[in-house]
Amino acid sequence: MMARFGAIVSSLWRRAGGRFSLVVLGLWVLVSLVSLVWTPQPLWRTDGYDVWAAPSAEHWLGTDGTGADIVSWLMAGSRTDLLIVILTVLFAGALGLLLIAAMTARNSVLANTSVVAVDALISVPTILIALILAVPLGASVAVIVVACGFGYGLNLARVARPQALLVARSAYVESAVSNGASGVRVLFGHIVPNILPVLLVQLSLSAGTAVLAESGLTYLGVGVPSGTPSWGHSLATTVRFITVYPLTVLWPGLVVTVVVVALNLFGDALRDAVDPVGNPALRRVAVEETEA
Amino acid sequence: MRFIVRRLALFVVALLAISVVVFAALRVLPGDMASVMAGLNSPPERVEQLREQLGLNRPLAVQYLDWLGALLRGDFGTSMLTGRSISGQVAQRASVTFPLIVMGLAIAMALGIPLGCAAALARGRRARGAFQLAAVIGGAIPALWGGLLLILLFGRGVGLIGVLPSQGFPADGWDAPGEALVSLTLPALAVGVIVGASLMRYTRSALGELASSGYVEMAMSCGMTRTQAVLRVGLRLATPQLVSVVGLTFAEMITGVMVIENLFALPGLGTGLVTDVGNRDLIAVQSELFMLAAFFLLIGLAVDLAHRALDPRLKTAAGEGGR
Repeated sequence: MMARFGAIVSSLWRRAGGRFSLVVLGLWVLVSLVSLVWTPQPLWRTDGYDVWAAPSAEHWLGTDGTGADIVSWLMAGSRTDLLIVILTVLFAGALGLLLIAAMTARNSVLANTSVVAVDALISVPTILIALILAVPLGASVAVIVVACGFGYGLNLARVARPQALLVARSAYVESAVSNGASGVRVLFGHIVPNILPVLLVQLSLSAGTAVLAESGLTYLGVGVPSGTPSWGHSLATTVRFITVYPLTVLWPGLVVTVVVVALNLFGDALRDAVDPVGNPALRRVAVEETEA
Repeated sequence: MRFIVRRLALFVVALLAISVVVFAALRVLPGDMASVMAGLNSPPERVEQLREQLGLNRPLAVQYLDWLGALLRGDFGTSMLTGRSISGQVAQRASVTFPLIVMGLAIAMALGIPLGCAAALARGRRARGAFQLAAVIGGAIPALWGGLLLILLFGRGVGLIGVLPSQGFPADGWDAPGEALVSLTLPALAVGVIVGASLMRYTRSALGELASSGYVEMAMSCGMTRTQAVLRVGLRLATPQLVSVVGLTFAEMITGVMVIENLFALPGLGTGLVTDVGNRDLIAVQSELFMLAAFFLLIGLAVDLAHRALDPRLKTAAGEGGR
């Protein structure tokens, strides 16, 4: 297992896009962890005499309209966005797998109903779901996670369905079932390993979209509640003052763009890295493991 | 024919499903609709009065059928806040949003499709890499930030080349067409650049697949150059797929432009819906959510039918003998 992981990472590292994304994502996780124990300035130390300060040794990127330190808020925001992305991907992955299981089920009523349901619901956009949820829940991280996870889960199921169906109707699954394999065993033993490249790529693209959705939904007032640091929050709070202090708005947007680029490139690089055909090192490891 | 009937049946079923989802979503509120609409700390009598007025004391099934019946008659209810009919309110907002989307989509197509073709035709590693990077970065810019950067560039009174208005929509609406058009230019540009990046990716991948297919090789062996073959044969073959993508993009943009509408202070559908959610005008929210969802389903239907009309291969593939 470790050897496989090593083969995948070294293949990622060999591509420029993969290397860039590994560095950015690594930094993201590192900064999120560091921000839990240390930020350049305490988050809530605001100074009424020091609003819209220019960058200085004390405030690396200056301060915003409340005198809060921009770097510190961006650092703290990275952990909120990381949490949102992880939860969204888990939610989307779980829902996607559930739907794939239903769509490839032997029970044709279940399979047909789920295909129709996915086709019907997939055209409802994420923001609309978020607004429906925001009515009872108000602005919260849960709105982003559920709305995005729901939409991306449906998308995942639709994209992975043809391949999953191919596996589910294959002779080896047929033989596994006649040997008494349960539905769960077929799903995790046969279907998931075969559609893993598609799943990983889709989920990493979804992660990028989730970061973008966070900034949009937070700006619209249905995402991260005010007072909780997040990149969208940093962006939204500086928006109203662009006419006066345009520079402060550059940083949060730049952070979001770089991270989303990294997540998208990560997906592309991962597609090649986890594919045994495209990654000879992985193939070698897999063969060795089977022989051992 | 059978395909069309089945697709229409799916549309009707999906429409009913959506109406149930929207109806249910607003009924599972903690407390109930009346107490949410009345707001925190309102006296119980006020909540009870509202409940009576909205007919919330009746069984859920009756309430649902009542709402559905009204929808079928084209009666979308009246806004609790403004007292105006919701359909009128929506029509007025749509007169801002739809022109914005059409302008944005036109800009996106003008940018994305030629760039996508160029990306598919690019030969050198450098050129390919540059196109790919442009597409990835274009798709990673948050709409809010992209809009802000454009304001900082072109916004009147703010930007480096401050020539275009960046806030609001003329009060006369389309009675002052010049002004209205100018006020939509900058937001349409912001939308166009972001959507253009995604259209570019679709065009590149659709053409890229075809460029290595037998069709293009055949055309080249008949004497076309690679560029001619990809643009004349490949683009024609990719058209049905691109029409689908543009159609679905059009539908997605209705909510996709919400952030841009807010940023540029345009009184469109998105801004309106967000305001209604914020004001807890749930009757309006319920009808508006349904109308938007119905619109998405309708576009999905139109796209599927157009796709089929444009791509005759699908008919024979389905084994219906070309009818």
